[in-house]
Amino acid sequence: MSIIIYQAKKIITMNPSNPEGTHVAVRDGLILGVGFLAELVGWGEYSLDTSFADHIIVPGFVEAHAHVMAGGMMLLPYMGYFERKLPNGETAPGIKSYDELVKALKSIAADLSDPDEPLVAVGFDPIYFPDQPRLSRHDLDKVSSTRPIYLHHASGHLATVNTAMLETNGVTKDMKVEGLGRQADGELDGELREPAAMACCKTGNRIVQRINQTEQALRDFGALACNAGITTCTDLGGASILAPQLLDMWQEVTAEASFPLRVAQYNVPAMPGAAAAFDEVADQFVALRKQESEKLRFPGIKFILDGSIQGFSALIDEPGYYSGEDHGQLLTVPEQFADWLRPFHRASINVHMHCNGNLTQQLAIDTVEKILREDPWLDHRHTITHAQLTTQAQLRKMATLGLCANFFTNHLWYWGDQHYDITVGPERANSLEPCASALREGVSFSIHSDAGVTPLGSLHTMWCAVNRLTPSGRILGEIEKISPYEALKAVTISGAYQLHLDDEIGSLEAGKKADFAVLQEDPLSIDPMNIRDIEVWGTVLAGTKHPAAGQSSR
Amino acid sequence: MIGFTVLGGYLGVGKTTLLNNILRDNGLRNTLPGEGYGKSRRIALLINDFGDINIDAKLIESQTDNQINLANGCVCCTLTDGFTNAVETLLEASPKPDHIIVEASGVADVNNLSQYGHSEELKLASIIVVADAETVRRKASDKYVAKTIQRQLKAADLILLNKVDLIETSEAADLGAWLNELTAGVPVASCVKCDVPMSLIFDLESHGNNISDEAHAHEQYSSWSFSTTKTGTRAALETFMQGLGSDVLRCKGVIVDDVGNRLTLQVVGSRKEIELQASEATTNSAADKAVDRAIGIELVAIGMSNAFDTAKLDSMVKSLFGDAD
Ligand SMILES: [Zn+2]
Repeated sequence: MSIIIYQAKKIITMNPSNPEGTHVAVRDGLILGVGFLAELVGWGEYSLDTSFADHIIVPGFVEAHAHVMAGGMMLLPYMGYFERKLPNGETAPGIKSYDELVKALKSIAADLSDPDEPLVAVGFDPIYFPDQPRLSRHDLDKVSSTRPIYLHHASGHLATVNTAMLETNGVTKDMKVEGLGRQADGELDGELREPAAMACCKTGNRIVQRINQTEQALRDFGALACNAGITTCTDLGGASILAPQLLDMWQEVTAEASFPLRVAQYNVPAMPGAAAAFDEVADQFVALRKQESEKLRFPGIKFILDGSIQGFSALIDEPGYYSGEDHGQLLTVPEQFADWLRPFHRASINVHMHCNGNLTQQLAIDTVEKILREDPWLDHRHTITHAQLTTQAQLRKMATLGLCANFFTNHLWYWGDQHYDITVGPERANSLEPCASALREGVSFSIHSDAGVTPLGSLHTMWCAVNRLTPSGRILGEIEKISPYEALKAVTISGAYQLHLDDEIGSLEAGKKADFAVLQEDPLSIDPMNIRDIEVWGTVLAGTKHPAAGQSSR
Repeated sequence: MIGFTVLGGYLGVGKTTLLNNILRDNGLRNTLPGEGYGKSRRIALLINDFGDINIDAKLIESQTDNQINLANGCVCCTLTDGFTNAVETLLEASPKPDHIIVEASGVADVNNLSQYGHSEELKLASIIVVADAETVRRKASDKYVAKTIQRQLKAADLILLNKVDLIETSEAADLGAWLNELTAGVPVASCVKCDVPMSLIFDLESHGNNISDEAHAHEQYSSWSFSTTKTGTRAALETFMQGLGSDVLRCKGVIVDDVGNRLTLQVVGSRKEIELQASEATTNSAADKAVDRAIGIELVAIGMSNAFDTAKLDSMVKSLFGDAD
């Protein structure tokens, strides 16, 4: 029953009743109290840990929407436009030109011993090369004319392959699959669009599909989270119901003492778009919940209701997309959605609904209203995740219904310019992720990275909500900026609230878990433009220190 | 090659009724001359939910969570593990199915789904979209699904316009004109309770009388056929195919050309295709040759009785292939 008191330069608790302190006392992984040393010594004999005396302690970040198995993607070489942090703490540089791409792929190819082994890389996105001719097999042939190459795009909906990859898979211009990109002369250009075409190059596609389900992927994600100060990650789209055979692996890895992360897994109850006997799934879920362990929780389920804005597959209302072809589509029959939701709602299971388009979101809001009329549950905390184009009317209604929002603020940086110029146009781009409006209307909200769609990093996600800056230097919607304090709330206690875990995590408060993010600087007083650059020492999880890669545990 | 059919249509239009009709049908046989001719066809249905499917318990041979095997050779699989896994499982099974029908969800993009039908082992046979005569126009302007419904109808090779008994004749004419304009002429087969000749969906019986018997059982439909022992040419067959109007819902033909190649014509609504089934060099066995000599040219077609212009077909074949035997 030993007590450790951690000393810090400043402790920000996110507990409004006791907002700050310099010391936090921990016993058995739980917080005894936060305050000055003199306020804590009364708990009994303690040891004082001063290793954070020059650091700022905040509640461990709660990533509100990520994909833990995205750690698997980190096992593959990264070819994205923006630099990306790796589990070992190193940074993979951003690829800004086709020449850099060819050079990077060549150097990876040089390290492979088997000349026939396919080279599979991820993260490329043609949306950042609008002035270039579309990347084709001819560009990748410059890397190798014999080794098959499969370049998986960031969207997950596209790949570009070289000629050798087409040939080893017997893909010819005579094949009729629509998603096979073609040159003007009818020959294949090496681009594969959508799963049916991507599956044609099996030897590359398989590697991307299967890499995700490994122990290494899970451990790598844990390391990435720790490097970013995250102590709880909402795994929004887990597979323990659809793939129960993986549950043992999850239990084993998360139970390892060195695994530095609590995972709040939201299972998808059926393949996107497919129906299932949802009342049976609700029963399975209740059974699954009995298998919760210290670092693996099952707070609720997730439904995916549409596609993405940049893929033009989110369902948006009038006046529609600003340019480009509208592929907006629901993944559920609207009349059926209440039947899907009802069994979970009745069993008091929290539901998170992926809605990128505001029309999709309208369906979610109206359906929740309908089931609330049937079965009142005031404290449901059902959440619209992404919620990017939420309108003012929707916020007013969400506040009334008790719906939470989980905004994808990283979009402001990663696709903000594209939303302004191409997808939804200036007005809607300026009111993307309307955090300030949500605050004003009283809608509880969190913010997220959707890693691996964008990199994991709560400080970056905060920075987006606070600054609303785009790579071209635009400020998207000055009026929707929120303060660093509100942004910190959104990556801590408000994230926990949506998981019904705000009584255990998300703030530093007597009786709650001793989960901290340990920062080099104070995110509330630093120049807001530098929030994303604050160095993270690492985390403390249930009282145990987990240094980030490159930091030593003193 | 395994035939691949996508069955689309919104919630409640009658897709499940059609699937039940298919499962009940016991007379589905391979009709292409050559190996396997006349054997019963193994149909695999990939469906969203077993719950709505009525299968006669006597017909069930074995059953798992995700698959029901029927005595008539049909297999029913659920899509709970996802579409690609379900297809992979079917292709690994022995014996493999002859034809796969995938039931698309009510909001699925049937054209996207149909792209899986072009692979080493699969051949896209058709995209069939069922529409509810009473509600289709309203759904095609619904705030949530308008574009989805319109996309489905446009992507169809053949539209099964179900529940036509629920609308007035004048309404039906209006609806037909509207559909025709929206889809740029996709052929439409009207029906009640999705009761259509199975030959609209599967290979037509080109030998014997089964086809005409079946079409007669659905008096709304009539069939037409032509047969001669004379050979034809690919060019003539192509001219015939191009000349088919939207009154021809389904057509199939086998011809042996003047150098001994065997060509097949497959038409499902607006999907029309001629394929070389066997070249002279590969048609080696005496039995095959005998079959070919007996065939010459065989053509069969189905249309709605009230709209089927068989006189036009007669005059086309007469000018292209000469008189029937
Ligand atoms: Zn996601």
